[in-house]
Amino acid sequence: MFDFDLTLPLMALQFLLLVALLNAIFYKPLTKVLEDRDDYILKNEKEARERLAKAEELATKYEQQLAEARKQSVEVIAKAQAEAKKIADAEIAGAQQEAIAQREKATEEIASQKQAAMQALEQQVDALSRQIWEKLVGPGLIRY
Amino acid sequence: MEILNSLSVFNSFPLAELEVGQHFYWEIGNYSIHGQVFLTSWFVIGLLVLASLAAIINVQKVPRGMQNMMEYALEFIRDLAKSQLGEKEYRPWVPFIGTLFLFIFVSNWSGALLPWKIISLPEGELAAPTNDINTTVALALLTSIAYFYAGFKKKGLGYFAKYIEPTPVLLPIAILEDFTKPLSLSFRLFGNILADELVVAVLVLLVPLFVPLPVMALGLFTSAIQALVFATLAGAYIHEALEGHGDEEHEE
Repeated sequence: MFDFDLTLPLMALQFLLLVALLNAIFYKPLTKVLEDRDDYILKNEKEARERLAKAEELATKYEQQLAEARKQSVEVIAKAQAEAKKIADAEIAGAQQEAIAQREKATEEIASQKQAAMQALEQQVDALSRQIWEKLVGPGLIRY
Repeated sequence: MEILNSLSVFNSFPLAELEVGQHFYWEIGNYSIHGQVFLTSWFVIGLLVLASLAAIINVQKVPRGMQNMMEYALEFIRDLAKSQLGEKEYRPWVPFIGTLFLFIFVSNWSGALLPWKIISLPEGELAAPTNDINTTVALALLTSIAYFYAGFKKKGLGYFAKYIEPTPVLLPIAILEDFTKPLSLSFRLFGNILADELVVAVLVLLVPLFVPLPVMALGLFTSAIQALVFATLAGAYIHEALEGHGDEEHEE
């Protein structure tokens, strides 16, 4: 059972050759494959991370822009509203002034007509009172 | 072995025989070698080479089939070497430790799974290459050389400091260790595989059907464990040589 012979060194030599052979056709190529794959995965992961970061950055940028646009639109609306109010106020004020002016004019007209009427009435009063007086004292007595 | 031979007298069917210590000798010059060991080891080597070639013949980013299996094997081996030698040192030792594991594992399982005994040789019988003490001693001695090489390469002659490192009192034990390591490595593997094959053979001799199956399954398990143990211990010894006995190099 324990007969050592040339099998031992030959087997050792054969094993060393096997190590060299497998190193060339198994360990080296497949280790390279494994490492390449690790690199590939790492690289892709890094790229994906970068893209994600970029996308997030863009998203925040767009959100900022959106917020700004909202703010601007609110401002524009407020400005437009203020302007419209100003115009409306101005027009209302103009209309009121006009109305006041027309009323005053009407009042004046009324006053002048009233005066004219009063004058006419006064003349009539004179004439009437003269007539009345003539009738009362007779026409021959009247002297001016 | 006379007992076993006398047992076979009871068995009139030529279903199983036991031949231990008989070899199919090849003569090279004045020396003889065990032909059956080489025949099966060539088979094992051919299997490994074919599997490797099938794995790398069409390498793809997404592994399939053989490439996937061999990548799994390689990752297993790398993890084994890494766990023993550490992240920094393990890379150059992956081929040696990995080939130890693969060769022993495939040898053991070929012995346990393939009906080698169908192919009859003029003398002796085909079995797992690790069934022969020459193979296991060869592998164990290579492991010893490997860890000496690792130690000398890392520390030069300072490697000898590890023998007297904690205290020179332990010098004899430290020297003895260098002999017991290959001895235990080779005999553990040899004993386990031979014993397993013998137990299976004896059981088949006694009860040819079904009864040997659990033992055969156990044999598969032991075979795998022995390959793992051999490779792990080789890694551990190399690591020990790289690290030295003292605790002064544990800063990594």
